Amino acid sequence: MFRFRLYWTFTKKAFLRSAVYRFDVWSRLGSNLIFLLMWGSIWTALYAGREEAGGVSFESMLTYIVVSQFLSGVNGAGTPLWEIQEKVRTGDISLELMRPFDVPLRYLFADFGSVAFYILTALLPLYTVMFIFMDLTLPSAWETWILFIVSAFIGFLIRYCIEMAFGLLSFFLVETGGIVDVFYFAMSLLSGSVIPLWFFPGWLEKMALYLPFQGIYYIPNAIFIGKISGTEILLSLGVQLFWAAASYLLLRFVWNHASQKIVVQGG
Amino acid sequence: MPIIEVEHLMKDFMIAKRETGFLGAVKSLVKREHIKKEAVKDISFSIKEGEMVGYIGPNGAGKSTTIKMLTGILVPSSGSVKVNGIIPYENRQENAKNIGVVFGQRTQLWWDLPTIESFELLKEIYQVSDKRFKENMDTFTEILGLDEFLNTPVRQLSLGQRMRADIAASLLHDPQILFLDEPTIGLDVVAKEKMRTFIKEINNERKITVILTTHDMEDIEKLCERMILIDHGQKVYDGEIAVVKERFGKTRTLIVDLEESPHNLQLKGGEAFKEEASRFWIRFNRDEVSASELIAQITQTHNIKDLTVEEPAIESIISRIYQEGYQDLPEIVKV
Repeated sequence: MFRFRLYWTFTKKAFLRSAVYRFDVWSRLGSNLIFLLMWGSIWTALYAGREEAGGVSFESMLTYIVVSQFLSGVNGAGTPLWEIQEKVRTGDISLELMRPFDVPLRYLFADFGSVAFYILTALLPLYTVMFIFMDLTLPSAWETWILFIVSAFIGFLIRYCIEMAFGLLSFFLVETGGIVDVFYFAMSLLSGSVIPLWFFPGWLEKMALYLPFQGIYYIPNAIFIGKISGTEILLSLGVQLFWAAASYLLLRFVWNHASQKIVVQGG
Repeated sequence: MPIIEVEHLMKDFMIAKRETGFLGAVKSLVKREHIKKEAVKDISFSIKEGEMVGYIGPNGAGKSTTIKMLTGILVPSSGSVKVNGIIPYENRQENAKNIGVVFGQRTQLWWDLPTIESFELLKEIYQVSDKRFKENMDTFTEILGLDEFLNTPVRQLSLGQRMRADIAASLLHDPQILFLDEPTIGLDVVAKEKMRTFIKEINNERKITVILTTHDMEDIEKLCERMILIDHGQKVYDGEIAVVKERFGKTRTLIVDLEESPHNLQLKGGEAFKEEASRFWIRFNRDEVSASELIAQITQTHNIKDLTVEEPAIESIISRIYQEGYQDLPEIVKV
């Protein structure tokens, strides 16, 4: 039986907890803006006054970067990888086995709370202003907006499952530096967060399209700027759903082994 | 019917063997050898409902390992555990509803939320009804004085406040069994006393079974009638504390203040093991000589200003048992 009320309480409490760390919200927003400026300038320079490149107009490209930074703000507001590792190291996660709830779900719902707080207080105001004052492509059809939100949400779930699974690997490894590098590499490059997949060399694009990471940034973004449309969108959503299910199974697999290890080896 | 039943419980851990030197380091990259460490070997006991039992032993004796198996977060290597009719590791979430756990060394409250928010979260986790939640909060607030810090984030609480919050949190869902792991560690004398009074009260009034592990023998002495003493993963004593005191507490100390300070004090049946100015500490065995006989001996040659007789605290008895082994124990072990 899924106890929605219980998990929802975690969401509410995490929302309140985020309010305690106001400085954290501002500093995160600051670094988000800096990255936005950086990637904005880089792409402006790369287009070098051209109207379009790779079949995408400059305006759409700029929109892609803005949306991408927005999504990165959303995804970055959840429990970060290092914090999961820290909880593994201190044994906090092991102790949660003693509670009558499911640990991965409890963290997911807590993340909903902190992310919601960050979106409402920081991201939405900032990006609304940006869209008003900058020349960006906005979807004209309301259906596109909904598809974008759905796709971004599925992307969030994929990211959560993968990040949590990577974090839980510290149950099995003493040194996790290599794992962390692989994770952040995939998260920033293969997801298309800073360079859209259509600019990749053929083989890399193909590889990225076969991996789950594109579902986090590339697909919602491609929907937003109208790079894909109609049945292509539905197909992409299907791919995303497939990866959401697969990364969920991965998370379950790692978690089952981790909790098995806790109960056999004492964490 | 016992509420906790443990039979021939064992727990081994495989520990990676550290090779020394360069070659050893390279070797361990490829293949690692493991050594088996028996943390708990063949422990059995049963605890009745409403009992308050001290579970003690030196560091590394296997206390926490046993407690972890009782809470279900560790699976035994062999043997059986039953807590309230449930096998904890097979039914961890069900077991969780029957037990409350307090770790003195770490809080189980949410670090950056006001204390009350943690309580509300626990209310949802354990599905406590509004009515029961309010009743419990009222009771705990009254005894533990929670109201002075309910709105303070947990990270800003003093250790004493945090411990009070933690124990209240562990009892919100009316568990039948409470595991206390060093609940008074680091507390000042007054706070320790308050904590003990509270534990005693909930054990008396709510008939909650309490298992207490601690290094503070005063906790054990004031709270428990029964203690289980373990060392090297094995049970070495299980029974009434009074019996241990009776058996091991034959040694008494007579402290006398004399008017003059003699160079030494020779007594039949007693041994002066410490002196300070004109004060002497004399150890004697209660079975061999009585205090009054000793006093009579001293007054023959000296004038006594003041005197006291000290009973050994359970603390010194236990440390003697740890150090000297258990040669005298087998006759009193009730397994």
